[in-house]
Amino acid sequence: MIDRIRKYVKTFSITTAAVLFLTPFAANAQTNTASNDRWLHVRVISSDNKGETVRVNVPLELAEKVLPAINKDRLHNGKITIDHHDMEGVDCRALLAAIKDTKDGEFVTVQSHDSDVQVAKQNGYMLVHVTEKRWSEGKDSKDGKMTEKSRVEVKVPMKVVEALFSAGKDELDVLAALRALSAHGDTEVVSVKDGNDTVRVWMDSKSSAD
Amino acid sequence: MILAKIALGALGTLAVATVYTFREGTIRVDVDEHRPGGSHVHFWVPAAAVPAALHFVPDDKLQEAAEQAKDALPIVQILAEELEKYPNAEFVTVDGDNEHVKVSVRDGKVYVDVQDHGDDVHVAVPVSTIKDIVESVANRKQTQ
Repeated sequence: MIDRIRKYVKTFSITTAAVLFLTPFAANAQTNTASNDRWLHVRVISSDNKGETVRVNVPLELAEKVLPAINKDRLHNGKITIDHHDMEGVDCRALLAAIKDTKDGEFVTVQSHDSDVQVAKQNGYMLVHVTEKRWSEGKDSKDGKMTEKSRVEVKVPMKVVEALFSAGKDELDVLAALRALSAHGDTEVVSVKDGNDTVRVWMDSKSSAD
Repeated sequence: MILAKIALGALGTLAVATVYTFREGTIRVDVDEHRPGGSHVHFWVPAAAVPAALHFVPDDKLQEAAEQAKDALPIVQILAEELEKYPNAEFVTVDGDNEHVKVSVRDGKVYVDVQDHGDDVHVAVPVSTIKDIVESVANRKQTQ
C-alpha cells in the first residue's frame, strides 16, 4: 500500500515538474499583440507579367526602436542627410515655410517640362501631388505629346512634416516624423501609380494589411 | 523492486531532461529542391542547446563573427527584444507567379518561408534563441 502511494507521489512530482517547465510555451501561445499598437503598412502591387504583390507590416514602435540603431550611408541616428541635388531644384524647406502659415487650400505649384508638383494644405494635412510626364516626340518639339508617366500622391499630417524638417538644414528627422505619425490616427500616407505598379502606404491599428 | 525504482528514476530524469532541453522549442530548417538531383535538407535542434553550444565555439571564431556583424548586431539585438512583443504577426509577404516569401512570427518563433520556382526553404527560430545568440556574440565582442 505504502509502495503504491510512493509511486503516485513520484508520478505526481514528475508530472508537476513537466507542467512547470512547459508553462512558458503556454504563456507564449496566449500572448497577443497589444491592441493599441500602431502599424505602418506598405503594399506594392505590380500588374506586369509576374504580377507580384508585396506586403510589409511594421509596428511603429518597433520602427522607432530600430531606426536609431541603423547607421548606414546617409542614415544616422534616425536622420537622413539630404543632398540638394536630390531635390532637383525644389526647395522643400522653403515650400514648408510658405505653407505653414497659409490658410487651407492655398497651393504652391511648380510646373516643369518633366514634372508637375502641387503642394496644398487641407484640414491639418499637407498634400503633395507629383506627376511625371512622358514626351512622345521629344520634349523640345512643339508637336510633342505629353502623357502621364507616373503619379504620386502624398498625404501627411502637418505635424509629421514639421517633425520631419525639425532637424538640421540638410537633414530629415525620420525618427521624429515616425513619433509624430504614431500619435496620429488611422491615415493613408502615400499612394503611387507608376505604370504597372501601385504603391500604398498607410497606418492603422491592424497588424495585417488586408 | 530496486530495479523498478532505478528504472522509474531514470525515466523521470529523462523526462525532466527532455522537457528542460526543449523548453525553448526547436530550431527547424527544411530545404527541398524539387528537381532531379535537388537536395533535401531537414534538421532540427533544441533551441536551448544553441546558446550552450556557443560556449564551445573558439573565442577567435566568435570574435571574428562579432567583428563581421558589428553593424548588424545592435539592430538584431533590438529587433529580437522588440519581436517578443509581437508573438503573432506577419511582417513581410511577397506573392508572385512562382515565388512566395513570408516572414512572420508565430507563437514566439520567427518563420521564414520561401517558395521559389519549386524550391522550398522553411526556417523557424524562437525569438528568445536569436536574443540569446546575439547577446552571447555581443558579450564576447565586449570582452575583446
